[in-house]
Amino acid sequence: MATPEIAIAAPDQLEGIKDSYEYGFHDSETDYAFKAKKGLSRQVVEDISSHKDEPQWMRDFRLKALEHFEARPMPKWAGGHMDGIDFQNIHYFVRASEKQGRTWDEVPDDIKNTFDKLGIPEAERKFLAGVGAQYESEVVYHQIREDLEKQGVIFKDMDTGLREHEDLVREYFSTVIPANDNKLAALNSAVWSGGSFVYVPPGVHVEMPLQAYFRINTENMGQFERTLIIADEGSFVHYIEGCTAPTYTTDSLHSAVVEIICKPGSRVRYTTIQNWSHNVYNLVTKRAVAYEGATMEWIDGNLGSKLTMKYPSIYLMGERAHGEILSIAFAGKGQHQDAGGKCVHIAPNTTSTITSKSISKDGGRASYRGLLEVAPGATGSKSKVVCDALLLDEESRSDTYPTIRIGEDDVDVGHEATVSKIGEEQLFYLMSRGLSEEEASGMIVGGFIEPFTRELPMEYAVEMNRLIELQMEGSIG
Amino acid sequence: MTETTTTIDVCPAGELPAGASRIVEAGERKIGVFNCDGALHAIEDRCSHDDGPLAEGPFDPSTCTVECPRHGSLFDLRTGRPRTLPAYLPVETFPVHVVDGTIKLEVP
Repeated sequence: MATPEIAIAAPDQLEGIKDSYEYGFHDSETDYAFKAKKGLSRQVVEDISSHKDEPQWMRDFRLKALEHFEARPMPKWAGGHMDGIDFQNIHYFVRASEKQGRTWDEVPDDIKNTFDKLGIPEAERKFLAGVGAQYESEVVYHQIREDLEKQGVIFKDMDTGLREHEDLVREYFSTVIPANDNKLAALNSAVWSGGSFVYVPPGVHVEMPLQAYFRINTENMGQFERTLIIADEGSFVHYIEGCTAPTYTTDSLHSAVVEIICKPGSRVRYTTIQNWSHNVYNLVTKRAVAYEGATMEWIDGNLGSKLTMKYPSIYLMGERAHGEILSIAFAGKGQHQDAGGKCVHIAPNTTSTITSKSISKDGGRASYRGLLEVAPGATGSKSKVVCDALLLDEESRSDTYPTIRIGEDDVDVGHEATVSKIGEEQLFYLMSRGLSEEEASGMIVGGFIEPFTRELPMEYAVEMNRLIELQMEGSIG
Repeated sequence: MTETTTTIDVCPAGELPAGASRIVEAGERKIGVFNCDGALHAIEDRCSHDDGPLAEGPFDPSTCTVECPRHGSLFDLRTGRPRTLPAYLPVETFPVHVVDGTIKLEVP
C-alpha cells in the first residue's frame, strides 16, 4: 500500500472514534448497479447466486450453509464480544459496477479515484505481479502480468475463477474450511462474493507479490470475500491483502474465508495488513494445509477494526512440512484485537513457529489466542510459540489464551510469553539523543514489531511503520 | 492372540434400503450403519475432531460420505478417513454384512 495523497473524513462521523484514521472517506453510491436490501434470508442467498449465474451445486452449497448459520449459536468462547452484531441490519450484496475493468481506465471514475487515493495503481506499476481490487461485494479491477499467465498462473477473482475453472474450484473449495466449520464460516459460505482464486502450476515461482485490495464503501455493509489458493508441487507465491473502509457511526461486518493448499515442496506466504476503520467487525477464518516438505507462512498485521477475531491456522499434513505464523496486533482506543494462530502437527518431523506481538494503548485490548497440537504419530515434531505484549498505559489490557495439546512423546515444544511496558531507561536514553518522548516511544514500538516489518516487502514495511506512527500520535501526555 | 468379536444383529436387510442409515448400540459405544446404494458400511459414531456424534450428520449415498454435524468434516464411510478438515484422524470402521436376510455387524 502506498501513501494516499488525500484523506477526506466527515468530522461528525469521526467524533469519539479516532482522529488518526486517514482512509475514512466514502464515495457516492448513486451509480451503483445493484444494492440488496438489508437483512439475511433464503431469498437474499438465492438472489446472490442468480446475480452471479452460478452452477446449481454452488447454489445448493450456499443454501445448506445458510441452514448451518441459522442453526448455530454465537460461539460462547467469544465472551459476548460479537453480540453487538445485528445480522439483519447488514447489506449482504452490493454491486458497484456492472463489469470488471482490465485497465484502470475501465473502472468507474469514483471507484478509480478511491483506489488512486489508496495508491493501488501506482503500487501495481512499481512492484506487483498482479492486482485485484474489490469494492463492496465484487472485484472491479483485476490484472496479472502476461508472462505469469503464459506460465499457467491463474489469478482471478473468485467469481470468475468459478466460471472459468469450475472443476478446479469444485475439487478444492470448502475442503479446508467446511461450511459448517463455525458460525461465521457458514455465513461466508452462504453469501460469499469476490475474493481471489489463485493457482500456481508445478515448479513455477511467482517472484513478485500478487495483491488483493479490499474496500468497503457502504454504511452497514457486509463484505464476505472468499479466497482459494492452490500452490502445486514445488511452486512459490506471495499473496498480500490490504483493506480499509469509511468511518461511520454504525457498524459494518467483514467476514472472509481463506483456504490455502500447499502441495508437496511448495511455499506460500500470505501477508495481511488489516486497517479497517474502527466501526468494522473483522471476523475471519483462515486455514492452510501443507503437504510433504511444503512451507506455509501467515504474516498477519492487525491495526484497524473495532473487533478482530482471527487465528490463521496451518495443518502440517506431510512429513517435513513447516508452518510459520507471525502475528502483530495494535489495539488502540475502543479496539479489541483478538488474534493469534494455530498449528497442528499431523505428520512426523514437521516444524512450526508462532510469534505473536501485541501493543495496547488508550484502553485498547489485545488478546493472543492460539493452539499448538501434535497428533499421535507426529514424532520428531518441533514447535516454538512466543507471545510478547507491550502495554503503553495503565488503562490498556493484554490477555493470552494458549492451548497446547501434545499426543506424542518424541517432540520438542516451547512456549514463551512476556508482558512489558516501555521502560523509563529506554525513553531516557533515546530522549538524551534529542528525540521527543513521542518519537522515542514510536521508535521503541517500531523496534518491538521489527520481526514483522522485516518480513514485508520494503514498500509495505515503510507504509507499516507510517501506520504505526499514526497510531502512536497523541500517545504522550 | 486372536481377537474376539461380537456379532450384532442390526435389522432385517429390507429395513435399511439404499440411502438409509441407522445408529446401533454396541456395548458402551454407538455405531452408524449406512447403505450406500447397495453397499453396507459401518463406522463409529464419533468424530475424531472433538469426539462429538458423527453418524447422525447428513449422509450422501452417492459419494458414500457422512458429514459431521458439529463442524462439517466429511468422512469417507468406506475407509473412515476424513476428506475435509478440521478432522484429520480416521475413525474406526467395522465389518458389516447380510446373513439370511439380516444385517450383521462385527464389533471387536
